[in-house]
This record gives sequence, structure tokens and C-alpha cells, in this order.
Amino acid sequence: MQITVRYVAALRDRMGRPGDTLTLAADTADSEAVIARLRETDTAAEALAHPSVRLILNDAIVPRPAALADGDTLAFCPPFTGG
Amino acid sequence: MTRIDTGILDTALDPAAALARLAGADLSAGGVASFLGQVRQEDGLTALELEHYPGVTEQALARIARTAAERWQLHRAVIHHRVGRMTPGEPIVFVGATAPHRRAALDAVGYMIDLLKTEAPFWKRVHTTSGSHWVDAADTDRQAADFWLDQMASEDA
Repeated sequence: MQITVRYVAALRDRMGRPGDTLTLAADTADSEAVIARLRETDTAAEALAHPSVRLILNDAIVPRPAALADGDTLAFCPPFTGG
Repeated sequence: MTRIDTGILDTALDPAAALARLAGADLSAGGVASFLGQVRQEDGLTALELEHYPGVTEQALARIARTAAERWQLHRAVIHHRVGRMTPGEPIVFVGATAPHRRAALDAVGYMIDLLKTEAPFWKRVHTTSGSHWVDAADTDRQAADFWLDQMASEDA
């Protein structure tokens, strides 16, 4: 199954790109599997594993770990700093 | 029936107009409270840039205002938040509430701004004369939001 991954704000700078498209095995697909896959080839992806990182799955803020389905968009977000 | 008014603006926010609309439209409210956040002048700061997550931010603001309206029985709840590039002194966020009495309006405004800090997907980037950097989240913001959430949880218990 295919997942669209987005990196937001400081994490986009850290990763050096706005996102990736990943193909994952359906039986193990969650947010932590995405991080593990990215860390295999990119040391910058370590930043995604930090406990302060928030997830937006499609159009909702969700807790970690987040289960994924084919076609989902998963965004990794630094802690929010609005207001 | 509470009227909820939340939104994201990419052009200048006019707090005086927002407050006038809030107060003037609700003659049965004895209490009108508001908070205005503006870009703080700091050494070397030339601009503040606000990024958000379109589609999700709007939902988060509406949810925060609805929760405040129910909890404090508000007549009106307003959250207007800027995105884009701002200079020192420019308004970033306007939060307002009307209620029959002051305590509900004041507490609701405190709740809305504190929850917004940790539950709405905005990110600040500071531009200075020597470069730019993302703003780190403050532990005190988390503690402020937890204060309200703990209070509401103990009332529900």
C-alpha cells in the first residue's frame, strides 16, 4: 500500500524536502513503521521519532502510533507554536 | 444559541473592529472579554512568519471555541488567527467571548488562547537581521493548557 508522507515546518527543513511517497506492507503499516523505514536510508529521520512530534493523518490530528490505510497522507509536525 | 466565529486570515487583523463587532452585537451580554496577541519586538527581529496546516487548523479553532462556548455558556466565541509574514507590533491572534457575567467571559478567553497554543497546528518562524529560525514550543504553554484540561476533567468526574 502507498502512503504519502509530509514533513512540516522545522521537520521539513530537517529532512530537506517536503515529503515522500512510501510503499509499505499492509500488515505492518503504522506511523512507527514509516519512521523505521525512513531511518533505514536517512539519518535525519531520527528527528521524526522524537516523542514531541505530532501527527496529522489526512485531515485530523491523531495520537501515536497511528494505523495507516492505502492512500493515506501522514504529516509529521513539530510541537505547535501558534498564538 | 452560541454564535461561533473562527478563522484564519492572511491579511491584517483589525482587533478594534473585531472587539466592536463582538460587544455591539450582543446587548444581553454583561461581560465581554478579549485577548490580543501581537508580534513582540525583540533584538534583531525583523519579521515573524506563521505557517499552518490548512483544513486542520480551521477545525481545531472551531473545536476549541465550541468547547469553550459549551463549558462557559457563552453567547459568542471568537478566534481569529493570522498566518503569513508579520512585523513587530502587528496583531497575531484575537480571542473574544461574551457571556452574561465577567468570570465566564474571562475564563473562556484564557481557555481558548491556552488551548490554541498546544492544539492548533501553527508554527512560528522568526526572521532576524542575522538569519531565521523556527520557534521552539514552550513548556509553560503545555502547562497552561493542562491547567484547564485538569480543571475540566475534575469537574466532569
